[in-house]
Amino acid sequence: MEPAQPRIRTIGPLEDADFTDEFCRFIQAAIPSVEAAELLIALARRPDAELSPAAALRELSRGGTLSEAQAAGLLETFQARGLVARGGGGFRYAPATSELRAHAEMLAQAYNQRPVTLIRILYALRDSRIQSFAEAFRLRKRR
Amino acid sequence: MATFNFVLYALVMLTCLACMALLFRGYARSGARLLLWSALCFVGLSASNVLLFFDLVLFPTQIDLRVYRLSATLIGLAFLLYGFISEHD
Amino acid sequence: MIEFLAGAVTVGYLLAAGFFVRYWRRTAERLFLIFAVAFLLLALNQALAHVLAVVSEPNSFVYGLRALAFLLILLAIVDKNLKRP
Repeated sequence: MEPAQPRIRTIGPLEDADFTDEFCRFIQAAIPSVEAAELLIALARRPDAELSPAAALRELSRGGTLSEAQAAGLLETFQARGLVARGGGGFRYAPATSELRAHAEMLAQAYNQRPVTLIRILYALRDSRIQSFAEAFRLRKRR
Repeated sequence: MATFNFVLYALVMLTCLACMALLFRGYARSGARLLLWSALCFVGLSASNVLLFFDLVLFPTQIDLRVYRLSATLIGLAFLLYGFISEHD
Repeated sequence: MIEFLAGAVTVGYLLAAGFFVRYWRRTAERLFLIFAVAFLLLALNQALAHVLAVVSEPNSFVYGLRALAFLLILLAIVDKNLKRP
């Protein structure tokens, strides 16, 4: 059976080392969906701009999949996770730590070079989030 | 009969609190928001259970806390359902 | 007001049970199936309690449903910790 912490073994050996446990934890905590990844990458492409949710949606290459309300919700999640900052004009890409910045850049790189793999990981991690509900009831910690 | 009821009630209460504690701990460990909302659900259910105790055991005739009990449960379920629905975005 | 709350709570329990079923199908995790049944019982308990206008819960079959639901949840937790050494 699958372990509680996602271990990415379905991708080629070149990428294995890059998809570290920390990166997977980052995705699990901050990136709930493919659209969320695209939104963050779109914001990162314009680090000096402050974008409203509507403007951020326009930046997406295939912007039709998210509603403005959903985008706003995602941006607020990013803000809570220290990935974006909220200014007068909207949201701005502003990772709070260098580790977050590295993770975000890794996300963009994975999206560009290995999109299918990244999407597979995102869905696997979604299931692992659900799995973590069940794992929470394990009294002794698994490691 | 009363003892049996008390034991049952205690079991229900402990299970409820255990779920709440385990889910909070799981949230602290994994950061998955789903667990936070689930934990908050059991906060609501536990509150409802406590009110049940007040309503039916301590003050069976003096007060009727049904509105508050149901409200606590409903708020808890709202948290849970919000967490579940958020997972599907 | 009580009618509305009781109805909403019943529906809430049912929806939650539905989600637990979905998660069980997706992950094959037995805990979710047990939670689904438990929440179904809680929905039934809520509906019956209201339909039967039962105020004195502890001495009735209806309260037994609620206790059974939580016992099932307890069982799910025990089951989770017992299987798979």
